[in-house]
Amino acid sequence: MKLTINEVAQCLRLPVTTVDRWIRQGRIPIQKSSNGYIVNESALEKWAAMYRLPFSLPKKVNTQTQAVRLENLLPAMNRGGVIYGIKGDDVETVLRGAVEKMRLPLGTSKEKLYQCLLEREHLTSTGIGKGVAIPHPHDPLPDTFEKPVITTGFLEKPIDFYAIDDRLVFVMFILLSPSIKFHLHLLSRLSFCVRDNAFVEFLKTCPDSSAYFSKIADFEKQLDRADNS
Amino acid sequence: MRVLKLWRYPANWAIFRLDDRLLLILMAIIVGNCSGLASVILNRSLLAMSEWLYHFRSHWWVFVLPAVGAALSSLFLEKVVKEGAGHGVPEVIYSVSRYGGLLRFRSSFSRLISSCLTIGSGGSAGPEAPVVISGAAIGSNIAKYFSLNDRQRVTLVGCGAAGAISSIFNAPIAGMVFAIEVIVGEWKSVNIVPIAIAAVAGTEISRILQGNQIPFSHHLFKFDLLNVFACIGLAVLSAAASILLTRTLRSMHTLSHKLSGPLWLRAAIGGCAVGIIGLFLPVVLGEGYQTVEALIGGRYSQGLAFVALASFAKIAATALTLGWGGSGGIFAPCLVIGSLVGVTYHHFLSLLWSSALWANEGYYALLGMAGLISGMLQAPLTGIFLIIEITGGYEVILPLIVVSAVTTTLCHYIEPASYYLKDLVEHGHLLRPGTDARVLSDLNVPELIERDCIIVKQNMLLRDFVHIVQKSHRNYFPVEDDKTGNFLGIIHWDDIRPYLFNPVMYDAVFLGQIMNTHVEVVHPDDDLLEVLRKMDIKGLFSMPVVMNNRFVGLISKATILDRYRKELMVQTSH
Repeated sequence: MKLTINEVAQCLRLPVTTVDRWIRQGRIPIQKSSNGYIVNESALEKWAAMYRLPFSLPKKVNTQTQAVRLENLLPAMNRGGVIYGIKGDDVETVLRGAVEKMRLPLGTSKEKLYQCLLEREHLTSTGIGKGVAIPHPHDPLPDTFEKPVITTGFLEKPIDFYAIDDRLVFVMFILLSPSIKFHLHLLSRLSFCVRDNAFVEFLKTCPDSSAYFSKIADFEKQLDRADNS
Repeated sequence: MRVLKLWRYPANWAIFRLDDRLLLILMAIIVGNCSGLASVILNRSLLAMSEWLYHFRSHWWVFVLPAVGAALSSLFLEKVVKEGAGHGVPEVIYSVSRYGGLLRFRSSFSRLISSCLTIGSGGSAGPEAPVVISGAAIGSNIAKYFSLNDRQRVTLVGCGAAGAISSIFNAPIAGMVFAIEVIVGEWKSVNIVPIAIAAVAGTEISRILQGNQIPFSHHLFKFDLLNVFACIGLAVLSAAASILLTRTLRSMHTLSHKLSGPLWLRAAIGGCAVGIIGLFLPVVLGEGYQTVEALIGGRYSQGLAFVALASFAKIAATALTLGWGGSGGIFAPCLVIGSLVGVTYHHFLSLLWSSALWANEGYYALLGMAGLISGMLQAPLTGIFLIIEITGGYEVILPLIVVSAVTTTLCHYIEPASYYLKDLVEHGHLLRPGTDARVLSDLNVPELIERDCIIVKQNMLLRDFVHIVQKSHRNYFPVEDDKTGNFLGIIHWDDIRPYLFNPVMYDAVFLGQIMNTHVEVVHPDDDLLEVLRKMDIKGLFSMPVVMNNRFVGLISKATILDRYRKELMVQTSH
């Protein structure tokens, strides 16, 4: 494979001007002839190793820079589904009821998931106010979930979730993600939606899933527009 | 046509795909031969010149001869080839430091002609430095013709210098050591091998054309331990002489620069003064090799006062010749002054303590020469090897090392930079490879600019700015004028931190109100040393780069460290 000077500069993570100067000064084993540069890749690699300079081919650099595009709310919510009429009078029973009803990947221990959620609840309540709670495990679960899952659960009757504003919680978004990055990304988007009072009022009506998802889709559009501006 | 093209671009030859070292060795042979040839030519023309002028020696107006020679040489340098006077070695070191050894083609012959005029007519100067500069220029131009890179070119410049010194003194080791110690300043095998080869080539050329002769042969000396101790006194004396010579040379230089009038007139005045000294003390005239020979051979029968006076006169004559615009080197005058100082010391010792068994005066003359060379050049190895080789006196190696080491140390103590390097050091032009100054001069501001800053406008609200902060990777935000696009100031993360968590401020504050307008800015052409000094004084970690009122990018200490380290690694380690 032939390398260009630009690629060499990328490999070394240096500006092209520096590589050009090094060639002129004879510090790098690249020769300049009347019809271009003569780059010997293996010699170059050997040279970089000798001087302990970082050197990796642009292909590798490309895969590193191609950041994994973070998924938005809607696919995660579709995966998690919506549960109605969760029974219970306190946090434990409500969470247990929700976990029992959740669609989870095969081989997932519901008991373990419940314990994780409860553990987090003991640290501090996930009731973020306005009657909304976002239960989630303290640490991400990369072994269980390849992609994030949000299950929306409407309670049969509002319960005391020890939320920060002491209001009774009537809806839960159970947020399960493979990494902290996904978690924060989705949490930030979700809190944007909940900040809208009209949306909270809309949730109080226990809407059916299609209306609910279309509402979420509207929010997503708003968020994307704000991101791109 | 094809052949022509081949000769036009020799860099395309297959030979250049060869191993780098092999190529340099091949080039070194060519360069060594050429510079050796140049020094033989100068040597021959000096001989011819002195023979031709011999008939005029008996006339009363002989003292104007050095004046005419110096004036002609100055005119030639100034009007014909348009180069500065002086001995040229600093010029070579300067070009090695700053321009990768780039020298003009005309330098390869200009100093030969001008120094031939100066010295042949009786001016007190040496032919070595002119030969060094022409050798170096030959090396540089051969490298240029073959489109070699800077490192290779510097090595070939060293090869040229080595070949020249080796050839003129018939002293290969001295040539090699001089080129590495004084010219290149880097003891690395990539340099040493080609330079050694060039020294061999230069010596060989001179031996073929002029025969293998030791310039100043001598008798065997007998000396005991007492003389080795006595030579410490000589070291002090020769250090004093070196300092005196350096100081007089410089003061003469400044004195002549105060005089208005054309350069050639100044050179003529200096030459005339030398000629007048020469009327009374002919020993000061010319490069003085016969004198050195007589002193080493013990054939110089003058008394203490006369020899001491001759030393001073030679110092004065050298300063007058070189300081006032003549052309030539200080190598040969150093040898003459050194041997005179050595003989003075010997006479002084025998006067003081006549019963002791002193070695003969040739021994001290030899040590004095080593002392002066080491003291002036502050290059002890060059002094030691040169004297051993030009005298063939290996038996004096021990006192020679003592004198060279002590003189160099003493001179270094009084004058931190040698005569060659003093001007360069004063102007910050001495950049030896692998030093801080070299790394900083090689790196430049455009290479270090980081361009991933988000530029904001002066009339932007803090609310909009908060969104920008979310997306940026940096702590600095340059502010531009809405209409003209001129750089106005910069906002640092610290400036907005107090307002960032207070949403009431979001719609009340414009960026123009919180930006910092009194910022130190950098121009892309600025010297990095200066930039870093500014950063240190103000305690800054980043500075905006601004060109023509436009923001170009940011320069930060973190990036500088990264690049500085890479640069240093590439320059030094193996």
